[in-house]
Amino acid sequence: MKNTGQLLKEKLLLSFEDIQAEVSDEHRLTVNCRKDTVITVLSFLNNSGYDHLALISCVDWIKDNVLELVYILTAYAEDKGKAKMNILVKTRITREKPGLHTVIPVFENAEPYERELHELYGIHFMGHPRLTPLFLEREYKIPPFRKDFDTRKYVQEVFDQIPFVEDKKAEK
Amino acid sequence: MRELELYFGPQHLGMVGNFSITLNVEGDRIVKATANPGFLHRGFEKLMEQRTWIQNFPLVCRINVVEPDHMELMYAMAVEKLAGIEVPERARFIRSIYLELARIGSHLFGLWAYANMLGFDTVANWAMYHRDLVLDLFEELTGGRVYHIYIWPGGVRRDFPEGFKDRIINTLHTIGSCVPDYDNTFFNNRVFYKRAKNIGKITCEEAKRMGAVGQVLRATGMKQDIRKTEPYAAYDQVDWEIPVRTDGDAYSRIWVVRDEMIESVHMIFKLLDKMPEGEVYNKIPNPFKWKIPDKDAYVRCESSRGELGLYLVSNGGDKPYRAHFRTPSYNHGLTILEKALENESIADVGNIMISLYITAPEIDR
Repeated sequence: MKNTGQLLKEKLLLSFEDIQAEVSDEHRLTVNCRKDTVITVLSFLNNSGYDHLALISCVDWIKDNVLELVYILTAYAEDKGKAKMNILVKTRITREKPGLHTVIPVFENAEPYERELHELYGIHFMGHPRLTPLFLEREYKIPPFRKDFDTRKYVQEVFDQIPFVEDKKAEK
Repeated sequence: MRELELYFGPQHLGMVGNFSITLNVEGDRIVKATANPGFLHRGFEKLMEQRTWIQNFPLVCRINVVEPDHMELMYAMAVEKLAGIEVPERARFIRSIYLELARIGSHLFGLWAYANMLGFDTVANWAMYHRDLVLDLFEELTGGRVYHIYIWPGGVRRDFPEGFKDRIINTLHTIGSCVPDYDNTFFNNRVFYKRAKNIGKITCEEAKRMGAVGQVLRATGMKQDIRKTEPYAAYDQVDWEIPVRTDGDAYSRIWVVRDEMIESVHMIFKLLDKMPEGEVYNKIPNPFKWKIPDKDAYVRCESSRGELGLYLVSNGGDKPYRAHFRTPSYNHGLTILEKALENESIADVGNIMISLYITAPEIDR
């Protein structure tokens, strides 16, 4: 008998043309797709019962000059086979002016995750209602979680300019 | 009536840590709430990319101050999955017992915060005292009171000291004997009922749509717990029940927390009974030269606040390439809180926030 992951993989490959799906271990399905099909794949999975968006993450593969977005889905279902599954939907976008459509219409809780990725990786989500700063205090030329952001250099440039309290007192 | 903007926080009674909300109010009714996190953003995930696999342990446990143990577990589980390390049977049991103790400690801390906020100072002091007893156990086992770094890839750092089993049982009996007192003064108290009933109500559908997990979801009637659905450590070795309530308000949520504590105590007794003898860790490679194959892993567990996950990526080097924690407070504090506060009164803001069981360090990371 085929397990839940294998069945879902077949279903996905039948419904979509240009995607790759792989069941790497018993409870994990990895789906690679183009950036414009992400939202349809996610809504397909949502309708198949994988209705919990656990995380949207991003990995900066600087050598390949791409950002990889990872949408992790699980199920609220009490059905044991489904509840165990972790589905990772991955898509790659260019590092220069990265942008793709928001998935808020499919998963409402994507809102803060997309806001975070916009802030930390500079990805623009089209159709997002508020891409305002979430965590950070200052503006950055390079988004700070990208691999080419040099933390040490930034700290030296910004914080070393602030004089010590003792020096200030001595000046007076 | 004129609409005013009111800044609530970052220091206030409704939260463990710093977190602010901007409230648009008409009279004392809230029209719109905007969560404003970031006061505790320490960039741990970026920092983890600069540290070796083992050096990251002191970092991960500091991501959530209230329950560092589940963070350790997540990181250890992810590293085990990437490197293909097995955990011995006894270590699995020790992990479960240790994590349940951590859950009790964390829930008592949550109870302290809630009781303190509502003005039940006696109950708050009891809860803090009982949490301290749990911390004493941790101190004996690991050497640390709050941050333990006890769970390790391949098992746990050391075995239980002699007589430790009895001391766990004694401590749990001490706490358990006070449950009737807690019930009389707090959980069944009419004042508490009036303050918490029908406050911050969420239906099951809404909870699912907005990504709720943990108590927030279980208080709406949904039986969901990662310890059951995707068992890790030794949770599949013993029988236990998932406590649920159906009303979805602040009162139900805190009752779920109470029932969970009692269930945890029972679970620890069962685990102690069944615990096998044997090794507590498998050897790992030399940490200074440890390289992990080019892979990624997503692991999850049920922390005391709900589903906690970690997406960990390795590029074949001696450091993680990317680590991203999925924390339960994230959606509770940013999506659900804004919804739950609408049309409530200003006096209930702290009440709703604590009942959603949010901790700020977990959101900001």
